[in-house]
Amino acid sequence: MSKPNELQIKNKYNGELVDTVPADTPETLRDKIKIAHKNQEILKKMDFFERAQILSKFAAKLRFKKKELKDLIVAEGGLPIKYSEWELAIVSTGFKFCDWYYQFIKEKPLTSIEGEQLVNLKYIPHGLSACISPRNTPISLPLYQLGANYLVGNGAIVKPSTACPLTMRYAYKMMEDMEFPGLEALNLIIAPGEWAVDEFLKSHLIKIIMTITSSHTAKDILVRYGKILKKTVDKSMGVSMYTQPFKQFFFECAGNDAGIVMDDVNLEQVAKWNAMASYTNSGQQCFSMKRIIVHRDIYDDYIELLIKEIDKLKYGDPTDPTVDIGPLGSRKILMMMEVMVNDAKKYGVKIYTGGEKIDTGQDYGLFYEPTLVEIRPELCEDLGKAPFLWREEAFGPVRSITKANDLNDAIRLANASNYGMRAVAYTSNQENIERFKNELEAANIYINARPMLTDITVALGGIKDSAYPAGCKYYPQELVYQKYIYDGTSLNFDKIK
Amino acid sequence: MLDEELSSKVINQEHYATEIAQQYTKFLSQYPEIFSDLDEGSVFDFALYETLESYDKGSNMDVFHVLRSQNGIEIKAGNAKGADLELSLSVRAVEKLIKTQNKEEYAQLLGSFYNDPEEENGWIDFTLHKRTQVLIDMGYGRFAQTAGILEDDDKIYRI
Repeated sequence: MSKPNELQIKNKYNGELVDTVPADTPETLRDKIKIAHKNQEILKKMDFFERAQILSKFAAKLRFKKKELKDLIVAEGGLPIKYSEWELAIVSTGFKFCDWYYQFIKEKPLTSIEGEQLVNLKYIPHGLSACISPRNTPISLPLYQLGANYLVGNGAIVKPSTACPLTMRYAYKMMEDMEFPGLEALNLIIAPGEWAVDEFLKSHLIKIIMTITSSHTAKDILVRYGKILKKTVDKSMGVSMYTQPFKQFFFECAGNDAGIVMDDVNLEQVAKWNAMASYTNSGQQCFSMKRIIVHRDIYDDYIELLIKEIDKLKYGDPTDPTVDIGPLGSRKILMMMEVMVNDAKKYGVKIYTGGEKIDTGQDYGLFYEPTLVEIRPELCEDLGKAPFLWREEAFGPVRSITKANDLNDAIRLANASNYGMRAVAYTSNQENIERFKNELEAANIYINARPMLTDITVALGGIKDSAYPAGCKYYPQELVYQKYIYDGTSLNFDKIK
Repeated sequence: MLDEELSSKVINQEHYATEIAQQYTKFLSQYPEIFSDLDEGSVFDFALYETLESYDKGSNMDVFHVLRSQNGIEIKAGNAKGADLELSLSVRAVEKLIKTQNKEEYAQLLGSFYNDPEEENGWIDFTLHKRTQVLIDMGYGRFAQTAGILEDDDKIYRI
């Protein structure tokens, strides 16, 4: 039996101890999986709208505990308090109106060519889901994973990041306090991904693995799955037969979103939104605008305006409501920003603003200045040779900007990426708008949109290396499978009786 | 329809269990235009609760409903038959709401009771009796924005 461990969660800004939490062992993890799996029966006895009402009620509880939740988000996540408002709003709005998602899983009759309606498509929950959440969102994504599974009737084991598990634990405790029906089928795991993921992969009770992580970590999970499968091979029949059944994998991965600014827009307004889209939460967002592509005719004017907006960004104590940029979530992020900027320098790039770090020498209080780096368009052509900053996700406050000759060039540059989560474009020309809608390679296209929307229609997903499987998606839609049911009774009753 | 054309009617005043509900209905009747985004026939309950605990138990102290009629609104005591939703309010919130001077101030305060509720200082919540999509189609989304409940994204996050 492994010894239970304790995790110390420290404030990301000042290093003070926020709380200590007991960590799971492989044994307690397996027990939780068994219990959640068994209790999925409770969820089966409830219908979609019953579960939706309960989530909606829980959304009200979240609002009442907003202050406590925000304080935790800021302390353990280092997110600025003004951003924590959005972090909570996105999940409480989603839960409040979660029956809206019914449209994606509503049973559908099909009509045959002959005009008969003998077929129905039904949507069935896959079963127990293991969810792995990222460090940059202490509550919205882990709670959304939990809620989406519950909504469709799957049990769920959620593993929040060990860097910031307190907010999610607090939310789970709130569910316990309100005697949340069916909570027995939902649980949290506090454990490092290194071994917890292997436990999830090995468990025959887990049907879904859903993660929000870097594309490389997602691929590593598949490699690990392959190794586990290999161990289950049975050759007694003379051919390789794998005893473990398939699992469903849903990966939300990295984004390297392009943001195009054409020469026919209000540059001041777009520059303001650009700063927000690129540097919110210190740029630690998958859907942040990371590669800025600007029409050459307005390039210099736009750079000037954008730098003004970036210079207005205040970084420091995340509890200060005027602070825009809080500390980075880990030393690894700080190192990545340094590596990306140093690598870009080798290409003779121009650093318009930023480029410096604040390093306390500890694991807290780490900052990287909001940074804007010009990458010449010819460096973006060949992804094998392009600077890291262009070709990989900069998960911190460093952004690249480049110049496009015209609309075609802008689209070509935007699509010069291995990622395709979102693409953003600003233009007032209707023909440009149609071209962007049709030709930008991303699962989510935003035209002339302000950033940081909390609209319930906002989707997840991506193409290329941004998500697996590909496409824009809503979790409830993914967590069920489609069942084809042909009922020929009305046609053939007399024949079979 | 232009806002100015909407009328309001408060029916069976004597049937209210509490004075605060009477005062609130009178107050609301001043601003029928708040309900102008709703489709004709939309009807929902306003339920007043003493405490959060009584709300959790579903035990209100008074209730009335507002019907969006052809020319304006009708306010009646009691629950509506087939109400679209229930807007739940703490008495403390209602006491403060009826003191507001105009509909903008009212909407701002109502929104703050939803978005930053406090057990002591006032809160509101709502329970949907119909599906969200149906209510959106009936105009409740726009109503919630006019009434200050659904915040503009600009207000939620501004850098």
